[in-house]
Amino acid sequence: MFFHIVLERNMQLHPRYFGRNLRDNLVSKLMKDVEGTCSGRHGFVVAVTGIENIGKGIIRDGTGFVTFPVKYQCVVFRPFKGEILEAVVTMVNKMGFFAEAGPVQIFVSNHLIPDDMEFQTGDMPNYTTSDGSVKIQKDSEVRLKIIGTRVDATEIFCIGTIKDDFLGVINDPATV
Amino acid sequence: MSVVTDSPAHSSGSDDFISYLNDALDASSPDSSADEEAETQDEFEDVRNKRRKLESTEETEGSTSEGIMEHKLVVAESSVKVDVCTHPGSFGEMCIRCGQKLDGESGVTFGYIHKGLRLHDEEISRLRNTDMKKYLFSKKLYLVLDLDHTLLNTTILGHLSSEELHLLNETDSLEDVSKGSLFKLEHMHMMTKLRPFVRTFLKEASEMFEMYIYTMGDRPYALEMAKLLDPQGEYFNSKVISRDDGTQRHQKGLDIVLGQESAVLILDDTEHAWMKHKNNLILMERYHFFASSCRQFGFNCKSLAETKSDENETDGALAKILEMLKEVHCTFFDKLQGDLVDRDVRQVLSSVRGKILSGCVIIFSRINHGALPTLKRIAEQMGATCLMELDPTVTHVVATDAGTEKSRWAVKEKKFLVHPRWIEAANYFWQKQPEENFVVKKTTNPL
Ligand SMILES: [Mg+2]
Ligand SMILES: [Zn+2]
Repeated sequence: MFFHIVLERNMQLHPRYFGRNLRDNLVSKLMKDVEGTCSGRHGFVVAVTGIENIGKGIIRDGTGFVTFPVKYQCVVFRPFKGEILEAVVTMVNKMGFFAEAGPVQIFVSNHLIPDDMEFQTGDMPNYTTSDGSVKIQKDSEVRLKIIGTRVDATEIFCIGTIKDDFLGVINDPATV
Repeated sequence: MSVVTDSPAHSSGSDDFISYLNDALDASSPDSSADEEAETQDEFEDVRNKRRKLESTEETEGSTSEGIMEHKLVVAESSVKVDVCTHPGSFGEMCIRCGQKLDGESGVTFGYIHKGLRLHDEEISRLRNTDMKKYLFSKKLYLVLDLDHTLLNTTILGHLSSEELHLLNETDSLEDVSKGSLFKLEHMHMMTKLRPFVRTFLKEASEMFEMYIYTMGDRPYALEMAKLLDPQGEYFNSKVISRDDGTQRHQKGLDIVLGQESAVLILDDTEHAWMKHKNNLILMERYHFFASSCRQFGFNCKSLAETKSDENETDGALAKILEMLKEVHCTFFDKLQGDLVDRDVRQVLSSVRGKILSGCVIIFSRINHGALPTLKRIAEQMGATCLMELDPTVTHVVATDAGTEKSRWAVKEKKFLVHPRWIEAANYFWQKQPEENFVVKKTTNPL
């Protein structure tokens, strides 16, 4: 799920960035520092969308660096248990398949793939229904339900299932 | 990410958000709040109050109430200690079946399939069993392939000898690797030569076997080599195992190969890497294309690259082994009796091996004590009978010196007098070799 939230960060800035571009410098450093990172609490920071407030800088003794408390708005992405997500399949093997939704790595084990879908090996391994009408392979887009999440400092892992109504392939690259 | 269109409804502000998060996180990792981000500490207090508020009010928004309900459900479940899931494995330390967070690092890691994936023994054997039935039905066994000296030879660019520098102008394009056999991998500072016949070998072997790569090299190297050998990804999808994946240092094991041991063959030039699986092993003659590789194994001869030669394409080690694999495969599926699942490819391998020198009666003459037990063992595995005393039934005298008493006896009695390499060559080529190619010379200083 995406959220638009306000976060705060203490930014340390080298004196060479002071001057009339100070604000721009702070903002671009902020984007560089936080976009694409993950935090266990908020999930993946997709983009900084605005600055709420930049507090008074505090000069660090001895170094000349100044610390600014910056309040900023950003879009974060964090999957939740029970959430329905759309994801792209990255790898298929006999254990199940792996899929990605942006920074999130999702594993759907064969325990959580409908029983009527069977694994087929070959140069394009896939899970297929016995009548061949539905096929999950690399690059397929699937709709899945998250049943477990773990957010690390750099990565988000999820366990997903497609063993439920209205879950499964939403487009099949082979038929496009 | 289509979910973005739904988000306005949920973006009610950071306060509610943080309370969902805490609900989700409380149920899970207690350590994840130890976050280096500079959020203020008193947020916590705030959050706890907010959550209390949230839980008491009736939330109508779907996802929120669902999140909380699930949270309560987890608590309820763990207090009653009803656990129907056997937790067959984990991904990111969560059960792959029920999604529950699992403590510790139990099970076997399958990092070569995906980072963070672990499977438990029962799950491994379940996968092996279902797999086995399917492969046996389609007449396939498993083949585990070593890289270095078995399928290819690699050198550090800086270790090319002066006589090998001509190779730098002879490398094949990395654009379409399927046509080449000599590659310069600039970013890894390496040059790799594929063993002659390897492409035909892989193509034909893939029809009889589900194939794995298993190397003592690290993962980036293993994947790079897999790309050279299998540019289309037809053979080794999720089946490239490197030393980063093994469960024991300096050892290779079939524990992380998802095939039943009774259906797995191994092709490797290093016997001691497979201490637990010697009966599955087909020992390969080492392929030394580069001088650095010869030196590493203590050979002072010129490398193939230095003499601008190479192993024979149609008559080299891989071609011979392919023949043998075909025989083993055919025996396993077509000649053995009984249920497929009960057959054992190790027995087939040893019976094929046992035919190589069958009928040969061997006596050893003054062979170095260190080498004798191994020679004797491999000769017997190939079906030869080894005697201690001279006897008219002897067919071959194996010696390194034509001047010994037994050697002279062999000449007089018109028996074969061969060098120990005759046995080694038969062992590598799975075929009795012409004795005349292994003549024993007289040493100049008789003992
Ligand atoms: Mg090797
Ligand atoms: Zn479980």
